[in-house]
Amino acid sequence: MHANLINAAIIGYVVATGLALAYLVQRHDLVHRLSRLAALAGWVTHTVALVARALELGAPPLGSLPDAISVAVWVIVLLEMLIEQRTGVRVLAAFVLPVAVMLSLKATTTRPGTLAPALAGAWVWVHIALAMVGIAAFVFNFAGALMYLLQERQLKLKRPGAFYYRLPSLQTLDRLTFRTLALGFPFLTTGIVLGVMWARAAWGTTFPVDPLAFFSVLAWVIYAGTLAGRAIGGWHGRRAAYFAIVGFAALVLTLGAGLFLPGRHGS
Amino acid sequence: MALFVAGLSHKNAPVAVRERLAVEEDKLRELLGDLQASDVLREVVVLSTCNRVEVYGVAEAPGEARALAFRHLCRQRGVDLTEVESMLYTHLDADAVRHAFRVAASLDSMMIGEPQILGQVKDAFALAQACESVGPHLHPLFSQAFNVAKRVRTETEIARHAVSVSFAAVELAKKIFDGLGGRAVLLVGAGKMSELAAKHLVEHGAFPIYVANRTWTRAQELARALAGTAVPWEELPTALASVDIVVTSTGAPEPVIRRATVMQVMHGRRGRPLFFIDIAVPRDVEAGVDGLDDVYRYDVDDLKQVVDANLRERAREAQRAETLVEREVAKFLARQGEVEVIPTIVSLRERLEEIRQGEVRKTLARLPEATPETRAAIDALSTAMINKILHAPITKLRESSRAGASRSWLELVHELFALGRRG
Repeated sequence: MHANLINAAIIGYVVATGLALAYLVQRHDLVHRLSRLAALAGWVTHTVALVARALELGAPPLGSLPDAISVAVWVIVLLEMLIEQRTGVRVLAAFVLPVAVMLSLKATTTRPGTLAPALAGAWVWVHIALAMVGIAAFVFNFAGALMYLLQERQLKLKRPGAFYYRLPSLQTLDRLTFRTLALGFPFLTTGIVLGVMWARAAWGTTFPVDPLAFFSVLAWVIYAGTLAGRAIGGWHGRRAAYFAIVGFAALVLTLGAGLFLPGRHGS
Repeated sequence: MALFVAGLSHKNAPVAVRERLAVEEDKLRELLGDLQASDVLREVVVLSTCNRVEVYGVAEAPGEARALAFRHLCRQRGVDLTEVESMLYTHLDADAVRHAFRVAASLDSMMIGEPQILGQVKDAFALAQACESVGPHLHPLFSQAFNVAKRVRTETEIARHAVSVSFAAVELAKKIFDGLGGRAVLLVGAGKMSELAAKHLVEHGAFPIYVANRTWTRAQELARALAGTAVPWEELPTALASVDIVVTSTGAPEPVIRRATVMQVMHGRRGRPLFFIDIAVPRDVEAGVDGLDDVYRYDVDDLKQVVDANLRERAREAQRAETLVEREVAKFLARQGEVEVIPTIVSLRERLEEIRQGEVRKTLARLPEATPETRAAIDALSTAMINKILHAPITKLRESSRAGASRSWLELVHELFALGRRG
């Protein structure tokens, strides 16, 4: 039941992504509307799937990494629809949905039915939930940075191409990148801190030898550096965008490590 | 009854001819009155702009109507008809509908997508309405043309991108800055072009305006004209530090804004972009500033390049608009066709009913002993026969109207059943 629903949701997201990318090339209102519709249908199905999963587990569907990523994807798609609605930046979907699709494909890799024994107690749910919201925010951070670099390049080259017409202004994009960083960072920080506290309580070590934990701290350092650079060093624009992309790469490694390498977060 | 449009436009007639034929409003009223009085034209709308003079009409004989309209027009404007006759084009029926839609949607304009033409068509239609020269043919045509024009404007981006250098600069500024409201502009040099660019920027909310010029009095003059502030030439670097957009147009043989200066200026700006619009030839801003972060420099050639790209974008959108118009033409014709065949179907039925009743009467007169049942049976038989006979031709007529080819079928039916003149 749950697996079928998840697959249906992913199909919705894949269709929405394809249409969103098509909309970049062929600006047709209908293409955009269909893309939104597919995303919404996927998201609604996804919601039902998550509820079904929670009922099946008798707990929030965050107990395994694939489940947690699935929740992150759900947050990402929701945010994408809301931000697009509010800002009118219609091409956002073309940059965010592909990432969501890739993440949701990971979400189906493995799914243990039960929780690891160490995982019990309210704090661990908060740890996972905060980390996932942080990841969702950083997906937008990454998308904003990518769009900034594309638009900046077109403006510097002085040859308006498809992106010049479709993307919003540099300042808008830089602000999006900054705000999502400012939003995601506290979530990521709290998520990691809670994880460390949990590790000490559950495993007796403050820093467990765990690939996911390692990469997450690496990502945190990159994001912390970017935020400090922005706040104190006056970083912005292209440099901040490069760091956003590097930070996101570390975050992807974090999730990859959790999914594919043995460790305490592993499956 | 045929719909036609005849006229000349920028496509085939030089401005020297167009300007002599263009008609002003009160003369247009006169012309519409004359044309209506002639009885050759049932309905007529005359569109006269600097790029086209066209007569949209409905007449039995479109050729004759066209000749009459342009005879009147030429007489009124004192132009020799033979001079313009070779430039006139005529579109009939479906082609006329297509032409009307394309003109209103600005697809036939000199600058595709320019917004004025729709207003001009609306004015022409309103005037014809006031002169009571529009009826059941032109009214739906023009109403639908306005709808099509609106659809084209909202559903395609035909009119979206700037096609002049100064508007392209404004558009670029909007891709760099988050809106132009409150962006400070510095004019360096006091040329006409920079004044125009500054005006466009101000229209989009840019404020305040500073003017720097080697001649102090000229700087003050232009500052006054733009409600800005004059800046002494020596303070140019200071001014650069505080503004967002710089428009340069001096006659200087060497660049007046050097890379080193800009580099220094950028330090204090905390990432605020600086946009140079360099309209001067030779250029005023050293090309080397391109390598600096957050600095965007567009000279005249760059701006021209943007305009060219915008024109290509417009052309692409125009293709989509043409498809849309084509669909609308088909829909319009189908609707018109259905309306058009109804009178013929009615008169066909009436004609046969007339024959039937006559024959039934004659037959019954010869059968005085017939019972009421027999009479009723004869009546029913004849009615049934007529309905059966009429079924196929009526279906065919309706089909042909949906296919937009009703005219020849209508004529055929009229001939075959001697239905008399259609109107």
